[in-house]
Order: sequence, then structure tokens, then C-alpha cells
Amino acid sequence: MRFFRNYSRSPAAVVGLLLLLVVIGMAATADWFFPQDPLNLAGRPLQWPGANPRFWFGTDNSGRDIAAQIFHGARISLLIGLVATSIAVTVGIVIGAIAGFYGGWVDDVLMRVTEAFQTLPNFLLLLVFVSIFGSELLTVVVAIGAVSWPAPARLTRAEFLSLRSREFVEACRTLGMRDRQIIFREILPNALPPVIVYASVVMAVAILLESALAFLRLSDPNVASWGNLIGLGRDVLRTQWYVSAIPGVAILLTVLAVSLVGQGLNDALNPRLKGR
Amino acid sequence: MRVLALAGRRLAASLPSLLIILVGMFLLLQLAPGDTVDALIAQMGGGGDAAVVAELRAFYGLDISVAAQLGNYLWRLVRLDLGFSAIYGKPVSTVIMERLPATLLLMSASLSFAFFFGLLFGVIAARRVNRWPDTVISTLGLVFYATPSFWFGLMAIVLFSVHLQWLPAGGMESIGAGLTGFARLADIASHFVLPTLTLGLIFLAIYLRIMRASMLEVLTLDFVRTARAKGLDETRIITRHVLRNAMLPMVTLIGLQAGTMLGGSVVVESVFSLPGLGRLAYEAVVQRDLNTLLGIVFISALLVILVNFLVDLVYAQLDPRIAKGDG
Amino acid sequence: MDMTRRRALATSAAIAASVNLPHMAFAQETPRRGGTMTVHFATEQRILNPSLQASTGVYIVGGKIQEPLVDLDGAGNPAPCLAESWESTPDGMTITFRLRRGVTWHDGRPFTSADVQFTAMEMWKKILNYGTALQQFLDAVETPDAHTAVFRYSRPMPLNLLLRALPDLGYVSAKHIYEGTDIRQNPANTAPMGTGPFRFVQYERGQFIIAERNPTYWRENLPYLDRIVWRVITDRSAAAAQMEAGQVLYSPFSSLALADLSRLGRDPRFEVTTRGNQGNARTNTLEFNHRNPILADIRVRRAIAHAMNIPFFIENFLGDYAKLGTGPIPSTSPDFYPTGMPQYGFDRALANRMLDEAGHRRGAGGVRFTLRLNPAPWGEDIALFTTFIQQSLQEVGIRVEIVRLDAAGFLRTVYNDWNFDLATGWHQYRNDPAVSTTVWYRSGSPRGAPWTNQFGVVDAELDTIIDGAATELDPTRRKARYEDFVRRANTELPIWMPIEQIFLSAINRRLRNHSNMPRWGSSSWHDLWLAS
Repeated sequence: MRFFRNYSRSPAAVVGLLLLLVVIGMAATADWFFPQDPLNLAGRPLQWPGANPRFWFGTDNSGRDIAAQIFHGARISLLIGLVATSIAVTVGIVIGAIAGFYGGWVDDVLMRVTEAFQTLPNFLLLLVFVSIFGSELLTVVVAIGAVSWPAPARLTRAEFLSLRSREFVEACRTLGMRDRQIIFREILPNALPPVIVYASVVMAVAILLESALAFLRLSDPNVASWGNLIGLGRDVLRTQWYVSAIPGVAILLTVLAVSLVGQGLNDALNPRLKGR
Repeated sequence: MRVLALAGRRLAASLPSLLIILVGMFLLLQLAPGDTVDALIAQMGGGGDAAVVAELRAFYGLDISVAAQLGNYLWRLVRLDLGFSAIYGKPVSTVIMERLPATLLLMSASLSFAFFFGLLFGVIAARRVNRWPDTVISTLGLVFYATPSFWFGLMAIVLFSVHLQWLPAGGMESIGAGLTGFARLADIASHFVLPTLTLGLIFLAIYLRIMRASMLEVLTLDFVRTARAKGLDETRIITRHVLRNAMLPMVTLIGLQAGTMLGGSVVVESVFSLPGLGRLAYEAVVQRDLNTLLGIVFISALLVILVNFLVDLVYAQLDPRIAKGDG
Repeated sequence: MDMTRRRALATSAAIAASVNLPHMAFAQETPRRGGTMTVHFATEQRILNPSLQASTGVYIVGGKIQEPLVDLDGAGNPAPCLAESWESTPDGMTITFRLRRGVTWHDGRPFTSADVQFTAMEMWKKILNYGTALQQFLDAVETPDAHTAVFRYSRPMPLNLLLRALPDLGYVSAKHIYEGTDIRQNPANTAPMGTGPFRFVQYERGQFIIAERNPTYWRENLPYLDRIVWRVITDRSAAAAQMEAGQVLYSPFSSLALADLSRLGRDPRFEVTTRGNQGNARTNTLEFNHRNPILADIRVRRAIAHAMNIPFFIENFLGDYAKLGTGPIPSTSPDFYPTGMPQYGFDRALANRMLDEAGHRRGAGGVRFTLRLNPAPWGEDIALFTTFIQQSLQEVGIRVEIVRLDAAGFLRTVYNDWNFDLATGWHQYRNDPAVSTTVWYRSGSPRGAPWTNQFGVVDAELDTIIDGAATELDPTRRKARYEDFVRRANTELPIWMPIEQIFLSAINRRLRNHSNMPRWGSSSWHDLWLAS
């Protein structure tokens, strides 16, 4: 409860949370408001928002309802954000934990690999993955996760490096606890908070990366994602700019919400930095 | 000289990563459907008969086994030969050298822009913390961060190039205008305004946030309170003492963000038709030009390593305690 | 008083300009000398020599620097270019070209029959795409004198086929530049040298190409322009912006977004037209992989055709810029275009019935079966058609999954690995069905050759018709053969070509003498001029 009170001290964090709830709400009620497949031909293409009362946000170049795509797209964006982030954070934590706990040559090897991934421009690696493995949504999500794990890995490693020499770890060792237990039951819970907070950054970046892929027409064409809409709208940017603008705003607000929530979490979990 | 020795050691330490990257990418790209001959035939619009196609494959060195191709590549690399570009028919090193200036210009301009304004606004926000300038700056920062860069770039072209006609719509400089000297510099500068803004705004947001947080942290430290108690002027305190320490995370971030910036330049260079490495890399992926792509990866990795090295040097300058360590 | 009169004049001029007047209206004007033509160069090519690569991407640059033996006149008939006249023996095995005199290469050396011999035997026959097939029975090119080239074939070559193909496949390169070198690696490939109205100056990759006026061009007092600059702009919206900003005067081959083309077409400063591109007609294809037993059934293929409301698609998505296709030969080819061929109109009920009859009842969720659709990754119209196919087929219970790949991946997956169910792309018609059309239907294409029959279709009767037509020397009988070809192609429907399009040019109205022949974008622009 004190956590919530800490959290709600920042108006920005509260705004972020509200925005995020709106996005989640859109995702949850998408089938209720728009039961048809959002990729169906709904009407004449390129109608302006408000021109036809049936289409709140108008139609895109393929004659599809933009409002339907925004609502259903919320699911896709949240899915992308959550799954890609989970993959990145999980892989990152595992690698960082092992590297930080054992040190020595294990650490060296793992850090070389991490460094390799960080030196390579991640969008480039993403392009290569998509060219090879295709543009299906799952593939794109896994690829985004696969290029985003280095930072959580380094964070986790740093935490482990500092925590493993603490007294309570020594105590666990003398008690005869196995390494795996020490890592997962003792150290990890203490190392997690900064990584969890960073996860919000990973999520924001994941959503932006997918939209950049869609802009280059490399994302999954079988789902109604916001990025795909922006990519479509690129061809009618000068006159029917709303086709790109509306999903652009949706992405902006979602990424904003995620970032604000992340910042709020950070401030709430580190109260000594707050209250300036 | 010590700096050179340090650089050498740093490079040697990075070699394993470089090797992992290059071999990894090479093998990964073997899995891509279609090769560079397929990409060429797509451009030709078809009509090549089987004999011609086989000849083309031999011409591009694709008729030997993957292991042999990798071996050849690594052997050339050891002699610092980056190979021949399939798309350009020129040595990869030449191609990269031609495209490097645009990318370097874009990256340094964006970095400078983001760093300088991030610093400035971060300091302002920290000084007026929780009051309206802070709220405005922080909110704007987040909005810039959350805006898809390509969308911003396209909208900027529509506004500034088409409607207002203040700035050119793309390219690196006016072609065939025969400008020299300062006029040419000014021309190139005007072409880089919008791309720099587009690429820099995201990083501006990041630096802003970091600077603000860092300033706030340092401002609570003892030595600042001491300085204030001594009656020193607030501005002097900021510039002489606080900034130096607060800038450390900013400087570290430059190193971390170097790779991301290169990746972000792919989209910006696409939108603004800049002849840089980002777009070249994208072309190389689409046309399966392995030599060029690996060459770019190699150069960008070297660039990131270089930037990180410079960052460490600057770091040592800013915080003398660190220079005493292993550097 | 003065202001109103000036305004009235301005208004009427604007009205006149906004009406799509034929270029003849300006014939009164005297051509102005000088000026720079700027061209939107959308896709960079690996080489610029049209003797080695036959594609519009090369012609847009190389076609101004090098020239073919035969070109097209305004009406689309073969017209003399580097060849002044030609004749064929009655058996079609020997075709003689009398070459133009007094033509020099840009480096000053004279153009002779030796250049034609070298180019034909070393480049057209061995390397040039479509050229290798066209010239496969070319045995030798004899040069009895410096201005005569005699082509000897081992099988009859219909003269009208050769003449129709040469504007694209007949560009001549200089023997003294290429002889004794590795032709593919010769630096002249990216710094072309020819006999044309413009000389190559500079190629900054990723940025621009510059060519300047050739003062020793064989056409007297031509060209009018001083220079041509090709600007590399890969992003479509940015290119449209540059056209509007006046930095680019011409965007060829539908390189702008359809919405921008519509908008520029309504802008009095520009003309957006298919005029000048009739030689570059194409049809949108729906390709069926007959190895999938569902699609091997003709009822299913016909049902799919009936399930799609093509006129609706054209009207709402492609606007004025496309026509209902009637088969593999487009209406821009009056010498071969057949009428009254079997068609497949939109009839959803019929489609549903046919699918039921073929034994594919609707299952869970109303879905009969699922097909993968591989779209070619070029062309905005293909992307729109792809979603339309998905939406239309869903209405008759066929679920379509779109598989997105880049160019190399698409070619390999569809035409080599045969790993697809449906595919959609373009079929480019190149003036004669024998060049690049019948290969889509004839069996026996080697695996991996794109835009040929890789669909597992073996139709013996169709093969016979195709082979007979390719060697038929009498033009009237040849046309009848191709009518049989289209009739059978439309009946058996191994693949479907429902939409016919011509490339669009977006042109700044300051240009004059543009679009004055059917392959204008690829031609030499020797008579193009720029009003002030």
C-alpha cells in the first residue's frame, strides 16, 4: 500500500498509468466494439474521420476501418511489448546472473557475446533476422527480444557482481545451499527491481522497433498493427495524412504511458531520490 | 604514447567480439532465402537463362561451399581486404569510404545537437525541479522520445520543404550547382538540418532525462552544500563543480548509444535520401550483398569501439579518480 | 482594368494547362535550347549498359547514352535508328541491316558493323536477359562492309518479332571498349559510352548521375537540352515532395505513390499520364501452384476468379490508371490483341457453388481451406491487390495468409523452391508475346527461372500452340495463332491475369516533346526541350 502511495505522489506517473489503462481497455474491448475482422473491406477507401458516421477514424487505402485497427492494434502492440520484453528480460537475466555469479572465464565468454550484440547496431540485426526468418508476428517479436537482451543482461550482471560478495550469500554457502538456489532464491529477488524498471524502457523500444519495421514494410501483414497502418499511410501522407497520424499518436501515447509508468516505478522504489 | 598503447590494448580486447559478430552474421545470412543473383534477376525483370544464371553465380563466388566462402572471407579480412561489393562492382572499402562521410556527419551532428540541448535543458529542468519549466521540459522530452522518428521526418518534409519551402526535401547537397568553399558548406548544412533534428530528437530526450536525474543526484551531495554554505555563486557552483560530475553518466551514454544511433540512421537516411552507411546496409541486406554488409558491420563495430574508447578518455579527464585505475 | 485583364489571362491559361491537351497544341512553339532535365531515379542498378541488362531501370539512364539498331516511332512502328534499313530473306534465316553512316562514338571513333557483330554475339546472345532467348538461334553476324550487318539464323526468325524486340534488346556497345576484357567487370558498365545524344559525365552512387549534351550527335542540331541529372530518391513521398518543389521534373514508371500521382495529376503544373508508356504495359497476375492438389482442380481456380470483383477494385483502388484485363496480351498491342476471349465475371454465388462442387465444404469458422499468398514486394498496386485478394477470398470461405518476403526471398521461394500456393506480381509485356509472355505458360522452363511456368502446369496443346506461333512468319497467321493461345490460356486458367496497367509518368509541364512515342521513358530524348 505504501508503494501505491509512493507511486501516486508523482502526477506524471499517475497520468501514465491512466493512459496505459486506456490502451489496455481498448485491447480488451476491441471485439465488443468491432466484432468483425479489422482487416476486412469495410467501405470505400480513404474516407476522412467523421465523414461517415460508421467510421470514427475514417478508412485507410485498403478500405479498412481505422478505428477497428486502432482497437485491435492495441492488442498487438501490447503483445509485442510484453512478449518481446519478457524474452529480452528473461534471456538477459539468465545470462547476466550466470556471468555475474560465477565470474572468471564464464563471465568473460558471456560478456564477449553481450558486447558483440551491443556493438552491432540492433536495428540492423533485426533487419537481418526478419529477412531470414520472415515477417510473421511471432518471428518479429522473438527477433526484437533477441536484439534487446544485452542491456538487461548487463544490469543483472552488475547487480550480481555487487551482491554476490555480500554477507548473506556467504551465509547461504556455509549452510550448503546449491548455486542454483542461491541465484534464484536469494540474489535474484534483490537484483530484480532495477531490471524490472528497465523493462519499461525495453517495452517502449520494442513497440517503436516494430513500427519502424512496419514502416519499411517488413512487418506481419496479416495482423492489424499500428505500425502497418503507418506504413500504409506513407503512400497517402500528403493528403490523407490521418492514416499515418492516428496510429502514430496511438504509438506515441502508448510509449509515453509505458515510459511514465516505468519512471513512476523507479521513483516509487527508490524513495530517497524522490521528494526533491 | 600511452594513449596509443591503451587504444591498441582496447582493440585487442575487442577482437573476440568482432570475430563473433562477423562469423555470426555470415552464417546467419546463409539462412536467408535467395542470394545476390536472385536480387539481381529481380532488378533485371527476368529473362536470364540457366547458363547465364550459373555464370552469374560463379561470377559472385557463390558456387563454392559455405565453409570455403567463410574461409575465403576470413583470410581476406586478416589482410584487411574487405572484398568486392556485389551491388557496386567495386571494392567494399571504396564503397564504404564513399558513404562514410554522410553517416559521420549525420551522427556527429545529431549527437552534438542531442548532447548540447540535452545538457542545457536537463540543467534548466533540474534547477527548476518540479516547477513548470521542469514539467514542460520533461513532458516534451518524453513526447520526443515516444514519437516514431520516420513519422516525424516525413511530417517535417511536408511542412518545411513542401509547404514552407525553407529547406530541401532530401539529398546531401544541391547537384550540379557547382558550389565551392563556404557556399558549399552552407548548402550541405541546409540539407542536414531536418535529418539531424529527426535523428537527434530521440537521443535529446534520453540525454535530457539522464542529465536531469544526474544533476539532481549530484546537487544533493555534501560538497555542493558545503560550497553553498561557503557563499559561492550558484551559477559558479553549477558550472565548476556540479556539471563535471553530473556529466559522467551522459558521457557513458554516448558510448552505449553509438550502436543504436547507427541503427536509427537506416530509417532517417531512407526518408531523406542521404547516401550513408545505414541505407547502404539496408540495401546490402535486401540484395544479399554479404561482403558489403559484413564490411559495414565491421566498420560500425570499430566505430563503436572507438567511441567507447574516446568516452573512457574523456571520463578519465572528468573524474581524475578514475584515471588512476586501469583506464 | 489592367489587373483584371491580367488575371483573366492567367485564369484562362491555367484552365488550358489543366486540361490534358495533347502535345500537338504546343507544336507552334520553337524549341528552346539549353536547360537541365532532372529525373527521379528510384532504383539504382548494378550496371548501366543496356546491351547487358534489359530493364527500364537501365534504359532510363543508358538509353540516352547508347542507342539501339531500331527504335519505335510515335505510332509504335519500328523506325530506323542506328540501322537505316533492313530486309529479310523469305525463309527468315538471314536478316540484313544497313547501318547509318557518319555516326561516331562519344570518344570519336566511328561506329561500324564490327560493333554490331561484337555486341550481338558477345552480349545479346550470351549475357543479355531476354536477349539470350531471342538470339538463341543466331549463328553468326557477318560484316561484308563497315555499314552492313548480316544476321544468320539456324531457325526462321519472324522479322516483325525481331523488329519489335530490338528497341529494347538491340542496344549497341563499342567493340573497342569491351573486346578482350571481362565484359561483366568492365568499368564502362557504370560509365557507359555510346552514340547517343547525351554523354556520360559522372555517377555518384547513392546520389546522382550526370550526362551532358553530345555536340557530335548524328541527328543534326540535336539534342536541345544541355544536361540531364538523375537524382537518386528511394523514398516515394520524398520524391513527390521534390517534384512539387521543382527539384525533379520527371518521375517515370509509376515511381510515386498512387495518391500522389492523383494529386499531381490535378495540379496544373504537372501532367500525369500513361502516354509514352504504351510499350510498357503489364498485367497483374494471380499465379496458382498446381502442385497443391486443391489448386490443380480447375473448378477451384475458376471459383477463385469468380470470387473477385475486379471492376470494383480497379475503380476504388487504382482509379483511372488501370483497366480490366482480358488475358495475357494487353490491349496496347493492337497487332496481337484478341477480342471475345473467355472471361470470369464477379459472381460470388457461383464461386461458392463451384467450391462446394469441388468437394470443399465450409468447416469451422466458415473456412473451407487455407492458402498462402506470396506477393511480389514491388509496386503499390500489388500490395493493394494482395489485401483485396485476401478480403475477397475470405468471403467465399478461403482463408489467405500473406507471406511477406523481400525481392530475393520472393524469387527464390516462389520460382525455385515452389514453396507457395498463390502468388501475385506483374507480367511485363514486351511488345511481342514471344518475348516474355508465352514463357509463363509453356512447360519445360528450367527450375528457378522467374516469371516463367514454375507452377507445375503441363498443357501439351498449349505448348504446341506456343511453339507454332513463335516460328510463324506470316503476320496474319501469327496473330491467329496467338488468338488460339489466349483462348486456351483463359479457358484452362493455369494462371490468371485480371488487370491491365500501363506505367504512369509524372511530368512537369515545362517539358516539351515528351511522351511522344510508346517507350518514351526508355528512349533517347533527343528532341526533348524545356520551356522557361
